[in-house]
Amino acid sequence: MPNMIEIKNLEKSFGDNQVLKNITEVVKKGQVICVIGPSGSGKSTFLRCLNVLEQPSAGQIIFEGQDLTNISEIELNKLRERMGMVFQSFNLFPNMNVIDNVKLAPLKVKKTMEKEAIQKAGQLLEQVGLADKAEQFPLSLSGGQQQRVAIARALAMNPEVMLFDEPTSALDPEMVGEVLKVMQDLAESGMTMIVVTHEMGFAKKVADQIWFMDEGYIQEKGTPSEFFANPKTSRAKEFLSKIL
Amino acid sequence: MKSKKIWIALVILIMMLLVPLGKVSASNDGYLQKVKDKGTLVVGTSADYPPYEFTVKQSGKTSYVGLDIEIAKKFAKDLGVKLEIKNMNFDSLLVALETHKVDAVISGMNPTPERQKSVDFSNVYYRGQQYMLINKKDAALYKNIHSFKNKTIGAQTGSLQYDLVKKQMKNNQVKGLAKLNDLVIALESGKVNAVAMEEATAKAFAQNNSSLKVINPEFNVNSSQTGSAMAFPKGATSLVKAADKTIAEIQKKNLINKQYIPLAGKYMTNNSKKNSMWNYWTYFAKGIEYTLIITVVSVFFGFILGVILALLRLSKNKLGKAVAVAYIEFVRGTPLMVQVMFVYFGVGAVIQSLPALLAGIIAVSLNSAAYVAEVIRSGIESIPTGQTEAARSLGLSQSLTYRYVVIPQALKNIWPALGNEFITLIKESSIVSIIGVGDLMYQMQLVQSATYKGVIPIFITMVIYFVMTFGLSKVLGYFEGRMKHA
Ligand SMILES: Nc1ncnc2c1ncn2[C@@H]1O[C@H](COP(=O)(O)OP(=O)(O)OP(=O)(O)O)[C@@H](O)[C@H]1O
Ligand SMILES: [Mg+2]
Repeated sequence: MPNMIEIKNLEKSFGDNQVLKNITEVVKKGQVICVIGPSGSGKSTFLRCLNVLEQPSAGQIIFEGQDLTNISEIELNKLRERMGMVFQSFNLFPNMNVIDNVKLAPLKVKKTMEKEAIQKAGQLLEQVGLADKAEQFPLSLSGGQQQRVAIARALAMNPEVMLFDEPTSALDPEMVGEVLKVMQDLAESGMTMIVVTHEMGFAKKVADQIWFMDEGYIQEKGTPSEFFANPKTSRAKEFLSKIL
Repeated sequence: MKSKKIWIALVILIMMLLVPLGKVSASNDGYLQKVKDKGTLVVGTSADYPPYEFTVKQSGKTSYVGLDIEIAKKFAKDLGVKLEIKNMNFDSLLVALETHKVDAVISGMNPTPERQKSVDFSNVYYRGQQYMLINKKDAALYKNIHSFKNKTIGAQTGSLQYDLVKKQMKNNQVKGLAKLNDLVIALESGKVNAVAMEEATAKAFAQNNSSLKVINPEFNVNSSQTGSAMAFPKGATSLVKAADKTIAEIQKKNLINKQYIPLAGKYMTNNSKKNSMWNYWTYFAKGIEYTLIITVVSVFFGFILGVILALLRLSKNKLGKAVAVAYIEFVRGTPLMVQVMFVYFGVGAVIQSLPALLAGIIAVSLNSAAYVAEVIRSGIESIPTGQTEAARSLGLSQSLTYRYVVIPQALKNIWPALGNEFITLIKESSIVSIIGVGDLMYQMQLVQSATYKGVIPIFITMVIYFVMTFGLSKVLGYFEGRMKHA
């Protein structure tokens, strides 16, 4: 499989606080990677560096051959179109209804024709099981429904990779399943995904690789069966013993 | 670091505003020719000084009348040009002359040595005595300047009478107001014990208000300080000479006593016969119209400029940010009244044809922009960063993000505050009356001088302002409710 994202010597500091310390990894096309680790270990920062919502302090992010850390704002906007992102707090636009949320970027960024954008948005809402909510406003939906709209919105730009930052952490337990189901379907359809999560069941079932992050490093990585059955580092052991 | 930048930007801003003023004083005498070329003589006056100058309503229109106005008419006719009267506060007249807003000033003005330092005067065309207006019930108490002790004497700010009271009635207080009408109200309500004014004017007030009386307090007046003359810009000798010629003819024919004063008297009695407020509703209507025009136009431009300032202030561009911060702080740190005068007299000195209405609108818009900018900035900052990040992660540029995601949400949040700004402007715009813009406040003053009634026009004006602001707040409240449901 060809490389989709190459991360080379990535570092990120906030003032004196070095959050990411020299990370070098590769994400291959079609891979599903789950990033796990204790709170404050730098998982969100890592994910946000991948689409340069945070500007890395050092190192390179090479996405399909282009270095994102060293390009113009306009080129960066173009490349972000190809990387979808889903946030813990959904971040739907409350001033627009569901379908407008989904078709905003295709209409304004890709200049898709209105009719085509509506059709595509309708399809995606169908895919996440929310075709009947198209005209509603985000705040009238449950958390699980909002997160599924957010996934549809990201998919509307036909991204080549999807980044998820704890997509189910803000949800009531009974809504976690519906969102994970949508994500699993997406993984099975061949989407490249990087998922920061605390849902170990999902990680075991869906991930091709687990990256365990702690104190700004990726301390350990492996297939779910290797990692969960037989963690190598003491930190990973400690982490797993706490959450399982 | 940051505050240093702000200071530098502030200084640059002030310098930018001041530099053009340097050009003003270059005046070599082409004055008469200029007036003839324009075909109009613009004369400034403070039309609340009957019988010299005051307003009457003639077939629904306000016109300026009085003996000074007659002289100005004759002067314009002798020059073969049209006459245009600009009405403003007495205080502002000389500034208007120096900044070339007007070609001449005729306003019962004494050619005092102080004034002669800054402007040139024609010969004296009329010499009246310095009188005092008192309440009739005090007639037994006050005979002359020596009967007053620890009293408060009113006089028009910047007038000869003000100086006389100050210098010759030292054990009394002087209360200076810009408008004679306000002084007379103060007299009637006991705020002042007497008002010093010129003979003819004092007599006019007494004639129209039976509770008032005139006395001759026997000020010690140097004859060079009395009498009225026309004022011209320093160095406008050609105009002064032309005026002297007109005045000589007027005096030869004794036109002032034979024609002008009797005519003014007729207007005054007419005025006082029909001084029911109903006869003046067109004044108030006109005032409402102007106030609304000024407010609406200023809200519009203030909003646009406010958005730009807010975006500059939030931008990453350091210079833009510093300029925006400096502008906002400066405007919010100075009174609107000074800003209005600065735009009219200061900027107006460079762009001579700047009309008062436009100057007023510019000043109010510029002022409002600073406040709107802060409202918008707080609105934008209240939008969670997650919204911006979600938009950017979809590939929206910074400007698309603002346009479709941030601004619409911010506007919804700040709608009530913007509405408040609108309402505030209706009230604050009343300040433009000082430069002679015909807004509601200004019309109120006209009605006061035309009717010799002080309090009723104030009351009516107050009610009108309240109806406008209350009505607007109801309308805005309705839309706010609808936006919430959207
Ligand atoms: N914008 C920022 N400015 C300063 N410090 C930050 C910023 N964002 C994150 N940090 C710091 O970086 C560190 C890592 O934060 P990060 O959010 O990446 O952790 P995380 O692994 O996602 O944690 P969690 O599981 O709680 O979400 C923390 O110490 C945090 O305080
Ligand atoms: Mg996180």
